[in-house]
Amino acid sequence: MRRAEEVRRVEHIMGLPISLRIDDGDIDGDIEGDIDGHVNVAAADRVFAWLREVDARFSPFLADSEVSRLDRGELEPHELSPDLVEVLDLCEEYRVASGGAFQVRIPGRGLDPCAMVKGWAVQRAAELLRAEGVTTFCLNAGGDVVSAGRPWRVGVRHPERADQLCTVLEITDGAVATSARYERGDHILDGRTGRPATALLSMTVVASSLTEADATATAAFAMGAEGIDWAAAREGCEVFAVDAERRVFRTQGFPVAA
Amino acid sequence: MKRALPVLVLTVAGLIPVWRYAPSTDTSSSTEVAEPASTPSSSSSGSSGQVVAGSTIKTEKGPVQVEVTFEGDKISSVRMLQQPNHPQTKAAVPKLIASTLEAQSADVDTVSGATITSDGYKESLQAAIDAKA
Repeated sequence: MRRAEEVRRVEHIMGLPISLRIDDGDIDGDIEGDIDGHVNVAAADRVFAWLREVDARFSPFLADSEVSRLDRGELEPHELSPDLVEVLDLCEEYRVASGGAFQVRIPGRGLDPCAMVKGWAVQRAAELLRAEGVTTFCLNAGGDVVSAGRPWRVGVRHPERADQLCTVLEITDGAVATSARYERGDHILDGRTGRPATALLSMTVVASSLTEADATATAAFAMGAEGIDWAAAREGCEVFAVDAERRVFRTQGFPVAA
Repeated sequence: MKRALPVLVLTVAGLIPVWRYAPSTDTSSSTEVAEPASTPSSSSSGSSGQVVAGSTIKTEKGPVQVEVTFEGDKISSVRMLQQPNHPQTKAAVPKLIASTLEAQSADVDTVSGATITSDGYKESLQAAIDAKA
């Protein structure tokens, strides 16, 4: 067994700050790395390279991305990459599950799967780390978190006070995502009406994957007050929500830190 | 009722092939006796619609049976013949704990919040944590 070094890195990709922290520790399994054990650095390089690739392929703001080309009708369904097909299938799954509130094709706007791409891509990045033999890490992409290997204390930002938390939870292997309006304004639209969702101040979901946590948080936020019950009823999801009256609702299984 | 809907849809979906291809002989799952028909049966209900009662399906909340009215190949209405006694909505949604919003500061490894922009990052708690690490 070899030891691998600690990594602390922040990069800005897809307009998001992405913080990766890998603890030093034993390298899991028979993983190829250079002899000095720079396994974690190499794994971190791959994570950021993957996220830059995702941005180039799936950004609706880049004219030559696959998403933009699809939106302009330049690609036939059989020409789409398996990754984009997977993302669009997930979008459809959550659109149906949320009764249309989660919507990546709002009339009058172009195709914008960003709400799904971010969680999906960062979850994939976490799987890349595991495949590289990294056991203990915390990856935070603009407020969405995937962690592994030891208990990690995750604060949930207070919806009205940027320097405060409203709860602290603890997860070992899992994901946390929060949807709210305080950073980017009314950017989450209720797909059923096309209007900004304003009934909740903050919606945090814990799940086993960030794909699930992020999409469920976004869909529930778009649904409004009924989104709290909806998210709570989803299998494997734990919820911490703040409504417009500043009432807090959480599921019994929400992993509040001691 | 929201949570009951998937059960209903599944039941209806399961019913259609039964109605089309074979009278059901499966009465073993039926736990109630006062049902109009335990095998799918059709009767003209006075209009052009065809009314079909589905077989009883056991769910963890209790037996469920629906009656479906078809207009040609399309379902025009669905009626519950049997449904669990307790409301699905209350049973299906985990109990939520209500409390008031509190502000706290604590030592944490990372912060979850609304998607932060690269511009907003400089002022954020996460930036402070990253700088300290």
